[in-house]
Amino acid sequence: MIKKLIVFSVVACSFGSCTVLKEYEKVNINDPDMVLQDKKCDRNVTTMHSYREAAAGANGGKTGGGCGCN
Amino acid sequence: MDIQKTLQVLTVVFLFVMAGNALQGQDASQTYTKRVLETTEVDFLTSYYSQTGDNAAVSGGIGTEELTDVTGTFVVSIPLNDDDVLTIDAGVSAYTSASSSNINPFDGGEPGDPFVASSGASRSDVWTNLTGSYSHSSDDRNTIVSGKLSVSSEYDYFSLGFGGGLTKLFNEKNTEVSVNANVYLDKWNAIYPSELRSFVPGANGLANGFFAGRTITGNTNYAPIFDKFADETRNSYSLGFGFSQILTKNLQGSLVLDFVQQQGLLSTPFQRVYFSDVADSFIENFQLADAVEQLPDTRFKIAAGGRLNWYLNANVVVRSFYRYYSDDWGISSHTASVEVPIKLSDKFSIYPSYRYYQQTSADYFNPYETALSTDTFYTSDYDLSEYTANQLGMGISYTDIFTSTHIWKFGLKSIDLKYYKYDRDTTFSSGIVTAGFNFVLD
Repeated sequence: MIKKLIVFSVVACSFGSCTVLKEYEKVNINDPDMVLQDKKCDRNVTTMHSYREAAAGANGGKTGGGCGCN
Repeated sequence: MDIQKTLQVLTVVFLFVMAGNALQGQDASQTYTKRVLETTEVDFLTSYYSQTGDNAAVSGGIGTEELTDVTGTFVVSIPLNDDDVLTIDAGVSAYTSASSSNINPFDGGEPGDPFVASSGASRSDVWTNLTGSYSHSSDDRNTIVSGKLSVSSEYDYFSLGFGGGLTKLFNEKNTEVSVNANVYLDKWNAIYPSELRSFVPGANGLANGFFAGRTITGNTNYAPIFDKFADETRNSYSLGFGFSQILTKNLQGSLVLDFVQQQGLLSTPFQRVYFSDVADSFIENFQLADAVEQLPDTRFKIAAGGRLNWYLNANVVVRSFYRYYSDDWGISSHTASVEVPIKLSDKFSIYPSYRYYQQTSADYFNPYETALSTDTFYTSDYDLSEYTANQLGMGISYTDIFTSTHIWKFGLKSIDLKYYKYDRDTTFSSGIVTAGFNFVLD
């Protein structure tokens, strides 16, 4: 697990070395479909997954608690 | 796993990433501060869910899993001033479940049978939730502080949750780092399988009125292993770290790492288990429980996920997601999904998607009639078994940036409608229709 965390941190840090875009260059990035999270209407799908699957978290949904699910 | 060591490493990683990005430059081009949220927005979210399968946990790994669920949720986001937003989230979810109806399989009009729904009170329930959250953005919009409080309730479960988060933006808002923590203090109102309730101290076992007029077949000397759970609390503590980065003009990605520690009653009190070394007892066509599932009272989970979104052209975006999950019950899983929004016109887009999910079995999972009465932990809940699932989805979205359609003072900004079909490599399958309506106050 420690090795995985190190890999994760290296990937995270390498992201920081990318080109910096000005606001006026972010037209495509600001497209609503480019948002880095699920659409609101997908919330109940994520909840269904958290009930029926053992895995939860790292997707903006529940990580446990708040219901009788995992 | 040494949790403390893991958290120490994680904290170092987080500080390293934050410091590294802070050194890369501050946003010095502050000229105009836009309101965080221009006007009040209202989202109405609704869904209809249906599932089938033959491995109900309530009846020890055999029996119908038929369930339907209807939800309705209002999410109201109110700008309190230029910097602060209050969000109220109120939802209701009403389900009807054939398997949970068999907590008491003998209160219907038909003979008890794990493949037939009973008609008693446990057949349906309503879950209600109210969440309030508050966020404050700094004048330069590079720092966001948030907090939330939630309450939810259903007949046999109550939850109180609270949490907070901190988000920092760097590199002219090309980089975002966040940390959040949440606590849920939950409480069961434990319900047990009907035939076991006669075996609590003082209930007289087979001499209890429950068995009067009912004929036990098979092993007539029915003697289950049963004690009520002494602790009905379930607490969950989560710590999450997020990192997102604009990579090019057309590409951005994010990484998320969540840690969750749970403790308390992690078993579901009404899920039966049948032992292979105990003779079977029946009433009508229903096998009487040998025990209810027993799971450890702690669970530690780690989930690491990443998203990568690619703006292919003016009409097509590719959205991808991957997650690795592991816990100390022996489960590990991989989740991968891709969604390809396609703009058909200024107002309409379609959303085809595919999701793959695979998990290994929990150490304590045993299919029907395979657990031993000498085991410490056991469950026949197929949600904790090894399986692979595939999900196909299709959605359509309508967007009207001029909000020409109105309901009272609210203009309709968008409608989303989606359908997902989910199939495991077992008998389980499900489908869900979801819809979302977004309104903005004039």
